Amino acid sequence: MDATLSVEHVTKRFGMGETAITAVEDVSFDVAEGEFVSLIGPSGCGKSTLFHFIGGLTAEHGGRVAVAGETISGPHPAIGMVFQEESAFPWRNVIDNVGFALELRGMPRAERLERARHYVALVGLQGFERRHPSELSGGMRQRVAIARTLAAQPRILLMDEPFASLDEQTRLLLGEKVTEIQQQLRQTTLLITHSLTEAVQLSDRILVMTFRPGRLRRVVQVDLPRPRNDDILTSPEFGAYVAELWGDLREEASRGLQAAEHAAG
Amino acid sequence: MAPAYALTVRRSRLAAALLILTAWQALASSGLLFRDVVPSLWRIAAALATTLTAPAFYANLRVTAFEFAVAIAIGSMAGVLVGLALGASHFLSRAYERWVHYLAPVPKIIFFPVLLLAFGAGLESKIAMGTISCFFPVAISVAAGVRGVPPVLIRVDRSFRATPWQMATKIYLPAVRAALLNGLHLGFGVAAIGVLLAETKLSKAGIGFLVMDAYHRFDMPGMYALLLLVVFLVAGVNMAVTRISRS
Repeated sequence: MDATLSVEHVTKRFGMGETAITAVEDVSFDVAEGEFVSLIGPSGCGKSTLFHFIGGLTAEHGGRVAVAGETISGPHPAIGMVFQEESAFPWRNVIDNVGFALELRGMPRAERLERARHYVALVGLQGFERRHPSELSGGMRQRVAIARTLAAQPRILLMDEPFASLDEQTRLLLGEKVTEIQQQLRQTTLLITHSLTEAVQLSDRILVMTFRPGRLRRVVQVDLPRPRNDDILTSPEFGAYVAELWGDLREEASRGLQAAEHAAG
Repeated sequence: MAPAYALTVRRSRLAAALLILTAWQALASSGLLFRDVVPSLWRIAAALATTLTAPAFYANLRVTAFEFAVAIAIGSMAGVLVGLALGASHFLSRAYERWVHYLAPVPKIIFFPVLLLAFGAGLESKIAMGTISCFFPVAISVAAGVRGVPPVLIRVDRSFRATPWQMATKIYLPAVRAALLNGLHLGFGVAAIGVLLAETKLSKAGIGFLVMDAYHRFDMPGMYALLLLVVFLVAGVNMAVTRISRS
């Protein structure tokens, strides 16, 4: 089945009248089936706003979100979300966290555990099935959240800075893991990030957003071979992509910084 | 805690208990007060034995236990439902939560005449007293607990398209477990107070009734014996709830 994600003319304003802030303005793009697209932009460009309403968690916005050409409203079964904040349920162990969505659907216990076990292994957490999140590291907890979303087998995966709270090494390793899984499952993926290297490491295409109001500034096609191993990560081509993106982002980020200083002053 | 320290704690506790009992006994045999106000320990012990061997005590204990059990069942269930609703809905909370907070500290016994009119002097009015007593601390704790649930967990649940029932049972209830147990702890305590207090008013059965009955017959040793039993029973229920909430 077609798993193309379309975002058309999406606009979001907060507040009313003179104090209204336009967070996102007329953003349109497609993510093709099996494609890995990153959305990158400075803080305050409306990335998370976009994430929440593609996922159907924010009402009242202008524009249209469609899966396989069909307009959707509210959370859609084809879309799986991974959030920026820690979201593993602290009262459930790893296996029951991962099987959560299947439990909601009423899948029989044996089948559910089997599938959950598969995804636990996929994110490299075998042996930790009975542990609770409090007994795991931050990176492991985020892997639990990713496995929980993958286990629901969404055709489209939405991730909002899932590695933001992790250290650089864990972030690189986990990024590798995620692309490996994405390539294997051929999932349509949209990743929201503010990390340049992460975007280049993982994506087929990168959408660069402007600082408030968030608009699409540019689209960068990443023509690096996969798997993107250490050789590629250290190659001059990789560095060139990062530098090119930084050229775009620098201006937006400094506008963001000025706005923040203005607000603070 | 060091064993020696624990031993000292236990010893001083025992010494204080002995001191109180000795003082009581001394006061009883001094003749300073009217004999029956402070009966001797032996007479209280004898009354305790008489009470514990009389079938009437157990019949009345069953009545009180039944009233208490029904009261906490209805009161805590209603408290959980209202607490979940208040905690989960910003609108309901803004509209009605202050009512709950205003009513919570009002001594429920002043509503007893209304309950008597509505339910009669039988078991039902006592159960109603226990129920409204239990309801408030449970509802308030659960509502506060729900608001303490990290919003991202709610968003995860919504993204998986959980039904409102699944949201309540699979997110809110486990997330508010600690707050809920705390509320039940308080609720059970005030429910016991509510039921016993109601029994001392217009009533023909229950432990509260027995206490007042002993008082009216001026059977002071019997009354003290009953009071001791009530203290032990309530402490026992309290300990059981604490143990359950820790497991």
